[in-house]
Amino acid sequence: MAAPRHSAMLSISNAATPQSTSSDRTQAPQQPQSPAPTQGLRVPSNRKTIYDRHLNRSRNAESSRASFAYLFAEMVTYAQRRVTGIQDLEKRLNEQGYPLGLRLLDLLFYRATSTSSSALSSSSTSSSPPNRPLRILTLLHLIHGPLWRLLFQRSADALEHSVSPDTPNEYMITDNDPLVNTYISVPREMSMLNCAAFVAGIIEGVCDGCGFEAKVSTHNQPTEMWPSRTVFLVKFGDSVMEREKVLERAGIK
Amino acid sequence: MSYYFTILSPTDTPIFNIAFGTSKSGGDGIARFRFPDTAQYMNQFIIHSSLDIVEETQWTNGGMYLKHIDTYPPAAAYISAFLTPSGARFLLLHQPPQLPASNSSSLGASSLLGASGSTTRASSSSIAANPTSPQTEEAVRQFMNEIYESYVKTAMSPFYKQGMEIRSPVFRTKVTAAGKKWL
Amino acid sequence: MTSPGDAAPVKPPPSFSPGVARGTSKSRYPDEAESTHSIDAELAEARSVSSPTPPLSATTAELPIRSSSPHARSVRSSTPQLARSSLGSPFDGRFDGSEDIRSLIIRAFSPTVAIYASDDTDELVRNKGFKGGFWELVRPFGDTVSGKVVIRDSVGSSRAWEDYGVRFVDLNGFGRTPAGRESGQESSLTQMEEILEQQLESAEGPFGGSIPPKDALGVPVASPLWKLLLRQILSATSAAPHETFGHPVASVIAISSRNMAPLETLRQLYGESSSGDKRLPDWVNSEYLRYYVLVHDEERDDITESTKLYDQMKRHFGLHCHLLRLRSSQCIVTDDDSVQVPSCEWLSPQERLSGVGEAGKYSAFIRQLETNNIAETLVDLGTDGTPYLFDSDVTAIRTFIRELMVQSVIPFMENRVAVWNDQIASRRRGISGRFMSVGRRFMTFGSGSRSGATGSSGGSGNYDPTNNFYGPDSPEAILRKMADFAFMLRDWKLAASTYEMIQSDFKNDKAWKYHAGAHEMCAVSMLLNPLAMSAKIKLESVDQMFENACYSYLTRCSDVPHALRALSLGVELLKSRGGSATESAARWAMRVMDFGLVGPIGQILFTERVSACYASKISMGGAKWGGRRRKAGMWSIFAANQWLKAGNPTLAAACLEEGERLYGDVLETDGVFPIPEMQTFVDNLRHSVKVEYLGARGFDTRDEPASEDPVLTDETSEKLEKIDKRNHRRSLIGLPGQLDVGNFNMTSGTRDPENSPNDDFERA
Repeated sequence: MAAPRHSAMLSISNAATPQSTSSDRTQAPQQPQSPAPTQGLRVPSNRKTIYDRHLNRSRNAESSRASFAYLFAEMVTYAQRRVTGIQDLEKRLNEQGYPLGLRLLDLLFYRATSTSSSALSSSSTSSSPPNRPLRILTLLHLIHGPLWRLLFQRSADALEHSVSPDTPNEYMITDNDPLVNTYISVPREMSMLNCAAFVAGIIEGVCDGCGFEAKVSTHNQPTEMWPSRTVFLVKFGDSVMEREKVLERAGIK
Repeated sequence: MSYYFTILSPTDTPIFNIAFGTSKSGGDGIARFRFPDTAQYMNQFIIHSSLDIVEETQWTNGGMYLKHIDTYPPAAAYISAFLTPSGARFLLLHQPPQLPASNSSSLGASSLLGASGSTTRASSSSIAANPTSPQTEEAVRQFMNEIYESYVKTAMSPFYKQGMEIRSPVFRTKVTAAGKKWL
Repeated sequence: MTSPGDAAPVKPPPSFSPGVARGTSKSRYPDEAESTHSIDAELAEARSVSSPTPPLSATTAELPIRSSSPHARSVRSSTPQLARSSLGSPFDGRFDGSEDIRSLIIRAFSPTVAIYASDDTDELVRNKGFKGGFWELVRPFGDTVSGKVVIRDSVGSSRAWEDYGVRFVDLNGFGRTPAGRESGQESSLTQMEEILEQQLESAEGPFGGSIPPKDALGVPVASPLWKLLLRQILSATSAAPHETFGHPVASVIAISSRNMAPLETLRQLYGESSSGDKRLPDWVNSEYLRYYVLVHDEERDDITESTKLYDQMKRHFGLHCHLLRLRSSQCIVTDDDSVQVPSCEWLSPQERLSGVGEAGKYSAFIRQLETNNIAETLVDLGTDGTPYLFDSDVTAIRTFIRELMVQSVIPFMENRVAVWNDQIASRRRGISGRFMSVGRRFMTFGSGSRSGATGSSGGSGNYDPTNNFYGPDSPEAILRKMADFAFMLRDWKLAASTYEMIQSDFKNDKAWKYHAGAHEMCAVSMLLNPLAMSAKIKLESVDQMFENACYSYLTRCSDVPHALRALSLGVELLKSRGGSATESAARWAMRVMDFGLVGPIGQILFTERVSACYASKISMGGAKWGGRRRKAGMWSIFAANQWLKAGNPTLAAACLEEGERLYGDVLETDGVFPIPEMQTFVDNLRHSVKVEYLGARGFDTRDEPASEDPVLTDETSEKLEKIDKRNHRRSLIGLPGQLDVGNFNMTSGTRDPENSPNDDFERA
């Protein structure tokens, strides 16, 4: 399911800039030392590889908003090269977010498992590891709550289900003021563009990683109070909906 | 007890393999499977076939550690599974040591009334002897959790993308250490 | 699971219940009333047989209730009837081929009728070319009783069966074989293996063994070899004390019109059979039906004389008599109305082996396997000494058997079941169902042979531990017999409850073989009973019963044939249940292999069967999971590997193809495994199968091209027709010319078209 996406990602992960940007937010200190190469392994002088460091060390670390804004701006600029239009640009941003989503998923669960006060669900007080989301709603709650908190330190603002009977597979997550758009002003001729497509990519990665094939798009829905209010439209694939029915019948939550 | 541990990507591609034996109760940590060394494909066939069960259990059990999910009786091979949220599958095949008396139970000639069926049900509660006891489940769970931590660290690397083979020797050392520690 | 039986709860509304519906339709559509009725009758008729079209009643349930079409209404109105009459076969058509196996299993437990013929009768029949006498003559016709057989069950509802059969045994030989049972058991297993080997060898050649036939969808049904094995497993067990399936339900006493003192002979035969040295062993209940047959020689004797004698017989012996008119001369194939005698389905392994050379039964059987190939049958005709009979004789024998069964044997059995149920079982159920030990201690049972004082050891004292059997009159033995009768009458509900009831008795008495048998048959009858066991808990208890049976048979009694039978029945019946039961089925098949109950070829066949079990578990609903395709594929590949090692590349090719078909659904790209070692293994396997296959074929074509060619083209043309329907089919068996790389769907370079076997073939 995820395979084609990965091949598309190759160039980007080689470039490494966007990745470390986003990772900086979550685990900034570890990245620079990553020893992935197979031969001529470079072990840091203190003999500690990333495998020896604790993943939760950077849990409460924060990165500077200014440096994030700068990196994100660079990402948008980078993505804007050789694009044919707004859609293409959004697609590229989306693709940059996708692998981040996959990673965040693992990190999110790891942190929830290893710390007794569960970061995933506020209600759960037990130390038992959280469950993988099996149903659409649990997945969306995961995105709406814990994922958003991990990324932006607050929950998303709304989670809605499409009321139209024709599109039962559409869900909407609303962010009144997306962090990524804070320092971006879109030129008039590109008014359709929403750079939160990057976040949409993250959401897509999370959905896909959990086995929920989905397409996520961003839509500007400004209000007077929230001029950069953004709606993330999550469209689940048919296979997901079919499975949903089966699980519903089986009574699985 | 011999172990064969595999990480499969969501597209069933193996990204990490290791075979090792138990280090508990005097084990030397070397895997001795019931198949000849030329038949290592057997482990993979068995593990691959247990994906049928993983795919089914995955949607009824929301936990990451799915416990012992499958057995391949002819070789007394037990499969435990751990599922990362992003869809990678950790599969551990464990096989109790073959008692010298029992015949090779898999295929071909075997004696009438072989007692081999009961060899796996030895009453001992030690991990090495009983693959389905709660103690074993717990040990495997610990083992899996430890690997999961290393896996997350690997996955966080910007040079790693999902589905890529994990070649890091440090990772391998980590897995071996976890195996020594728990299994 | 939708079975017709399940559909019953959707009842027609009152206004459409049978009586009312017909009334209204008559008044409203006066001219259609007739046709409605006839459709009704036809439908009922069609359904009451073993009904291969399942969804009829299911579809009726879905019909809009307010349908105005008289046809629809008539279908509705007959629903209750349909539901009842189709109880026995809820799986028809659901799993292809499983109905077939089911029927095979049911027929394996047919009532046994012993034949005891006077010397003059046997001599008459010997003149017709049947060396074994009267028994051999009638035996093949017992496999299927012609026409439908209606049986009433214990609650009074009746059901018609088309596949009812009867097993004829020779009273002379009865009970003699068990004397050497200990050695007989082991040998029956080796014999089984020998037969399989012979079958493989004889089928080697143009067809290279029997390729599993496939239905239109390309889903393989049970392979002929497997059926052969199953049939042998089912017929390998001879009559034993602990079960009464082999015990005669009735005995046919036959004399011929040549006999000088007919009535005296009949009396004498009767006497010999009940007290003389032809008496049955002690553990057989001697209360069985006697049936008297007068064989009239159409060619030498006067029919009026015979009729007179027959009337006399009827006066003396009551209604259980028959006049069988046969021609005494031998029929040969060139005679106008010659009919080939069908081969006997239920030959024990021993008989099958000894029969190979002389009687031609075996070759007839092989030909039956290769039914596709009509040409060969025609060519071979008459060369193998297959016996023939005149058409009139065949009709006469069939009529005789039908009358014997329908008018005498089945009513007799129904009656016995009812009596025993009333006298023994229901009392037991009533009180001691709850207070078993108390009940056992103080009840006095109908048949007064009990000596009153019961042992205090918890055993009833009826069990004879030195000879290991219950006296035939003891309540335990009678209950077992009653359960077996009910089973043979296909009243599985009663059978299951009775078996269940007596299990603990056997356990208390430490009558382990009885214990095993009761568990085995209880599980089997529960599985055969279509309505029972909807819950999963039941499945576990069935598993437990097989476990007990298997343990008692093997560990306590070392009775391999029975254990093998129990487990094979378990495998097949659980498989036909579908759903999670198929996994149990696969597990039991693996147990059979693990215990080493079958020989090398049997092992391979069981490996194939494991694959089939897993393949029959299909994913549920819209979900993608729930199937066991990978497991099925894996076992198929293993089977292919074993066939190759056993030197049979043709069957290996068939298994390989099947394995690839099964893997097709789960692999991203056809034939490409994500795991490298698996890929290497499968590639190597493909390669060596191809090399060996072509090698074997290459020799064949060079040696005897003429004999092979017509057959070959025949088969290929047939295959080519079908080829578009089966896109998954990558046949190795097809035209040799097509056997190049493309057909294998191969990916890497191990198999270039220039490799030597292929070259050889081209030159030839």
